[in-house]
Amino acid sequence: MGQEFAFVGKRLAQADTPIKATGAARYAVDIKLPGMLVGKVLRSPYPHARIKRIDKSKAEKLPGVEAVITLEDTPKILYASSFRDLPMAPSGSLQRADEYILADKARYVGDAVAAVAAVNERVAEEALQAIKVEYEELPFVTHPRDAIKPGAPKLHDYAENNIAARVSYPLAEGDVEKGFQESDVIAEESFSVTKQSSGHMETQTTIGSVDPTGKVTCYSPCQLSFPLRRGLAKIFDLPEGMINVVNPFVGGSFGARLSVYNEPIAVALAMKTHSPVKIEYSMEENFTCVHTRTGDEYTVKMGFKKDGTLHAMQIKILTWAGAYIGRAQLAGGIMLFWGMGHYRCPNKAGECEVVYCNTTPSAAMRGYGNPEVMWGVEQVMDMAAEKLGMDPLELRRKNIKKVGEPSNLRLPIESTYLEDCIKAGAESIGWQEKWGRKKEGLKRRGVGVATMMHCSGAYPLLIEHSGAIVKFNEDGSINLIVNPGSPGTHIWGTLSQIAVEELGIYPEDAHIVTGETDKTLFDLGSHASRSTFVTGSAVLMAAREARGELLEWAGRMLGVSPDELEVKDRRVYIKADPDKGLSVSEVVRSAMWDMKGEAMNIAGKSSFAPTPTSVSPPTAAYFAEVEVDTETGEVKVLKLITAVDCGTAINPMTVEGQCEGGIQQGIGYALTEDFFVNKETGVLESDNFTTYKMPGSLDMPETEIIIINKPDPKGPFGAKGVAEPGLVGIAPAIANAIYDAVGVRITDLPITPEKVLKALKEKQS
Amino acid sequence: MRKIEKETVNFIVNGRKYQPTIEPWVTLAEVLRDYLDLTGTKVSCGVGECASCTVLVDGNPTLSCSTLAITVRDKNILTIEGLAKDGLHPIQKAFVDCGAIQCGFCTPGMILTTKALLNENPHPTREEVKRFLAGNLCRCTGYVKIIDAVMAAAEAMSKGGK
Repeated sequence: MGQEFAFVGKRLAQADTPIKATGAARYAVDIKLPGMLVGKVLRSPYPHARIKRIDKSKAEKLPGVEAVITLEDTPKILYASSFRDLPMAPSGSLQRADEYILADKARYVGDAVAAVAAVNERVAEEALQAIKVEYEELPFVTHPRDAIKPGAPKLHDYAENNIAARVSYPLAEGDVEKGFQESDVIAEESFSVTKQSSGHMETQTTIGSVDPTGKVTCYSPCQLSFPLRRGLAKIFDLPEGMINVVNPFVGGSFGARLSVYNEPIAVALAMKTHSPVKIEYSMEENFTCVHTRTGDEYTVKMGFKKDGTLHAMQIKILTWAGAYIGRAQLAGGIMLFWGMGHYRCPNKAGECEVVYCNTTPSAAMRGYGNPEVMWGVEQVMDMAAEKLGMDPLELRRKNIKKVGEPSNLRLPIESTYLEDCIKAGAESIGWQEKWGRKKEGLKRRGVGVATMMHCSGAYPLLIEHSGAIVKFNEDGSINLIVNPGSPGTHIWGTLSQIAVEELGIYPEDAHIVTGETDKTLFDLGSHASRSTFVTGSAVLMAAREARGELLEWAGRMLGVSPDELEVKDRRVYIKADPDKGLSVSEVVRSAMWDMKGEAMNIAGKSSFAPTPTSVSPPTAAYFAEVEVDTETGEVKVLKLITAVDCGTAINPMTVEGQCEGGIQQGIGYALTEDFFVNKETGVLESDNFTTYKMPGSLDMPETEIIIINKPDPKGPFGAKGVAEPGLVGIAPAIANAIYDAVGVRITDLPITPEKVLKALKEKQS
Repeated sequence: MRKIEKETVNFIVNGRKYQPTIEPWVTLAEVLRDYLDLTGTKVSCGVGECASCTVLVDGNPTLSCSTLAITVRDKNILTIEGLAKDGLHPIQKAFVDCGAIQCGFCTPGMILTTKALLNENPHPTREEVKRFLAGNLCRCTGYVKIIDAVMAAAEAMSKGGK
């Protein structure tokens, strides 16, 4: 399909994986600094309580305890853990700052109340026990449905009825009530989705340290290093240049690590003790305190003409924010954009209320609202298809947006191959033979589909800005200086493949320098599936500049103009006379060590800050085949096919890995992962791997990833984002397959055997 | 107050002898990571539910986070650092080549569990691999390429690797 690439499109092993395979990769949890102390956090045992008095005198006197801090010992600056209290959106919208470093009032079981730094873990634990906190317990509420009622306990002074924010769909169109009246068929249902935990294997760990000049170094797994730096600058009233945020290897993020957690506490302890302080969360703290995917209850109403044309659509959402707003405001509101984004519809409206309650806060997780809302939308599509007497595939094909139509954010779509995805997936699963058949027996099989469109970056909701530096070395290799660390998305490999493709050298010639705000140019961070598209474009720009300098110097050496030159296979040569050339190494060495006073670096630097007039959304179709045991209600996923359109697959092995990982998280979301808070105590009971069940190897179905691999006009070498799409439609595809198998529809996640059995019983009676 | 006696204990890790002085309650994972600075062994859940911390003790997969260090004194302990002296062991190479490593946190435990499997069963089926690795949790890969890697490693090792 057009241009043949040297390395783009190849299944290359990732440069950062051998170091992980040998155990030499250092994650934050492995880093040891001289004189480093162990930090630990004292957490509220109550879901809602005033903190009347903290007596730290006994703790401070314990041998080996270097510091005990409470809110009074920290800068009392309110901040938002999402960094959205500082400008980040072109629209100018800001989010309210509602957190202090240590809580002014305990608002959930696990809220940070005090912290210690001690010489080892055992002394730190003892110190926590020795801190005496006088709490005044307050009434609490553990679900937004209850928190929004008049008279409910109030978490934040400013929030009446605990409503943190109200979002009205800003892209409302037409007249939705009239649209429903004009519709021939209406399908409407209510849904709920649970607060899924990221479940990353490396618990949240940060190290704060301050050097004698007052320069702060913060080792953090945060996915947004520069926003974190700016956030810490605000909290500690420091200039940004006096803070270095270092991203070590990270054991999984999935969006949870967009937010700030123990970083300010670690830095505060480091400032107090003049020693580095590491705070490592236990797995219980990881589940309780690291923000989860946002939970929601919502209704989806869709009206169709009898030929299947979607005519009106409305979504109303109650978003579960938890004790602090986290990222729930955007994660709730954005569901309106995703939900009414990939189907054409002239009449649309929606609202979202974001509500506080006394639980773990909600923030971002892979897909950021798209998995949450597709759960409902893709089921209502099937409900409508049934009423219309149409095949669900046909109903989708009729309504999915095409190239040039406005995306979910009203910018024209550059490329979409969603039809190809539907076709390829349907063929592979055997849709014609399996869907809509009469099912018999105690165990019944069915197939189901879901589709979606996502994004390759957050613009125009958030700004886009990434920078890269490419600099050549005398041996013809490059240092590729980019900010994204290594959270496991293989971004180093992807960015290297892009750079070397442009520069005519080999993947092993790219040495990545990364992960420190001191060393790299600004990059907004790793989120919204943006790294390949935006940082990749920045790399391409920088590589082009470096290539220009290379050819300019080579031209001088060869006595020709640079446009007469080509560079390939580590060699610069004259296009018209390929035997005449020089190795890349010779050119660079000559420039760098020039003896005639004209020496120069061969390098390129870029700031890529697109304000695109179009978007390049990745799309996907998911097909599930399930077997439902009508006696036990158990659902077994037999096969899961993801057909994905992410533009050019820079590395197909990486794309498959993202989609296969997405299937694991999607199946967990659909069937077994549940955020369970005890209503009597407010304690999170799903706080370990036994109670929070994530799929293991035996729980995985047969999988197939079909990569459509058709280029996007704007992406680097035609690529679009792929990190989040892998997960978005898995749960509704499974729900739709269950309906095909046994004729019952489960609307509340997760789909448990109890819910299936209950639905089957209700169907019989 | 009772005085806790620290003890100097012999450990044989990756063929090398160590004699750290430890309290009786420390876990094997703590000895490896904190006393011997072998941080390749990872602790995730810390309570024996995920197998990230797997090391081999006399060839047997062992959850180092839930093993009292003194109970494995004088035994042969293999950690991820000891798998290959130079370059990559065929299992490590297979994991790299098959795209079986994303964030890498579960990887040391996966690789050592794989070693134990292939020592016992050099030619496993995919189903046997899935069962043997059923206790090793991974959140990134969906296990597909991990199983591919184990199958590839089995083939490479039967052709002459170790």
